[in-house]
Amino acid sequence: MHPAVQRSPWQIQRDVIHALLIREMKTRFGKWRLGYAWVLLEPAMHIMLLATIFSFLGREFYPGIPTVLFMLAGIAPFICFSHSFGKGAVAVESNRGLFNYRQLRPFDAVLTRVLLEFAIYLFSLVSLLAILAWFGISARFGGFLLLVGINLLFFGFCLGISLVMCVVGTRFPEVAKFAPMIVRPLYFISGVFFSLEQVPQEYHRYLSWNPLLHMIELTREGLFASYQGMFADLPYFAASCLMMLAFGLLVYRSQWRDLVRSQ
Amino acid sequence: MIELRNLTKSFRTPAGRKVLFQNVNAVFPEGKNIGILGRNGVGKSTLLRIMGGIDYPDSGRVVTDQRISWPMGLSGGFQGSMTGRENAAFICGIHGIWGGAKRKVLDRVQDFAEIGDYFDAPVKSYSSGMRSRLAFGLSISVDFDYYLVDEVMSVGDAYFKHKCEQVIAEKRKTANFIIVAHSMPTLKKNCDVGIYLGPSGLQIFDTVQQAIALYQQGVPKPE
Repeated sequence: MHPAVQRSPWQIQRDVIHALLIREMKTRFGKWRLGYAWVLLEPAMHIMLLATIFSFLGREFYPGIPTVLFMLAGIAPFICFSHSFGKGAVAVESNRGLFNYRQLRPFDAVLTRVLLEFAIYLFSLVSLLAILAWFGISARFGGFLLLVGINLLFFGFCLGISLVMCVVGTRFPEVAKFAPMIVRPLYFISGVFFSLEQVPQEYHRYLSWNPLLHMIELTREGLFASYQGMFADLPYFAASCLMMLAFGLLVYRSQWRDLVRSQ
Repeated sequence: MIELRNLTKSFRTPAGRKVLFQNVNAVFPEGKNIGILGRNGVGKSTLLRIMGGIDYPDSGRVVTDQRISWPMGLSGGFQGSMTGRENAAFICGIHGIWGGAKRKVLDRVQDFAEIGDYFDAPVKSYSSGMRSRLAFGLSISVDFDYYLVDEVMSVGDAYFKHKCEQVIAEKRKTANFIIVAHSMPTLKKNCDVGIYLGPSGLQIFDTVQQAIALYQQGVPKPE
């Protein structure tokens, strides 16, 4: 059977991503009972566990918003970020065999993983919100347009950082070991389980450099009508996402042959 | 047509860079089967992979408008937890074969590999012979202008070897081959143009016989 004769670069890219997505889904979820239900169950368990622990700690983090919802809006994007970060670093190593096919390059592996992580994140966030609402835990909804906007930007951010990690993790394999160590502290300074008002004033200007903090605050603003993120700054977040994406693409472009070249 | 422009490739070794070949220029016209020979470690497979666009040279480039296959019989891209069918479907996918055409390819692969019901079992449960039969079946079921062959004719039992030879003879009517091999009869039978990779670099001959003659100069004669 002829491969579709003379596919355009765009068609090749589309075919490769499509095939890779199916493959990733099969290898990640295909082997277990319940199969694709794990797409939802895996992040749901993670989020619910953390959210429950923190909601038992007692007090309400933000007046008028149930703690579980508050946590959910912080943890969901953070998990998406940390997976993009960690999986980017090992993207080349774990897909070595695939680069024997000339149309499949590290970029495709990275893009597929980020796409999948992102889809899982959105899907689990929406369904968990729906499930919680069904149990009567809900807050008045903020703005849909804001959510769409920041998530598009956030996808660019994740792809950018994943591409950077792909290059760095391949050139310096030691970095892949440190990746969790870099992500862990970010967890504490990104406002996943507090809002920034609770931190002493003098640290605010340092903490507010962190784009993840803005993402989480903006997500809460989008989800909950009553939430007013003190630091949420959309223009800053947009600029840092676009810069991260541009940086990731540039770093990848300057190095991509070396990622698969025999040395 | 495959054109090599100013191709240079070297490897990093503890004792400094080892140059495999330097500033190679060559044009291989359409319809020529290419044989690559040389001793172990001179970079035959690397040259093959560079010509196929899988690996990259230090400088220079390969210009071609031909569709070149992945190394024939390669099973490194298989995912162990997926079935043979799923792995084959993935390869079809990245080559733009979907739907009805994909089903046809899958039937052809199953038929050629003769692994029966194992086609729907995870690849990690295959024996190495089954694995290479699946890989080889896939290679010949997707059509290309050029096929890369890296010592593949040596896999499998005698029956399978015979079958592979038949299929390759059949394929030669519609496609060309770039072959790396140590078996001189294979090269003589299948190749028109010879590339000899020696310690002093790369030499290209219009007939594979000349390359073989040069190669055999360095081989001690049996007593």
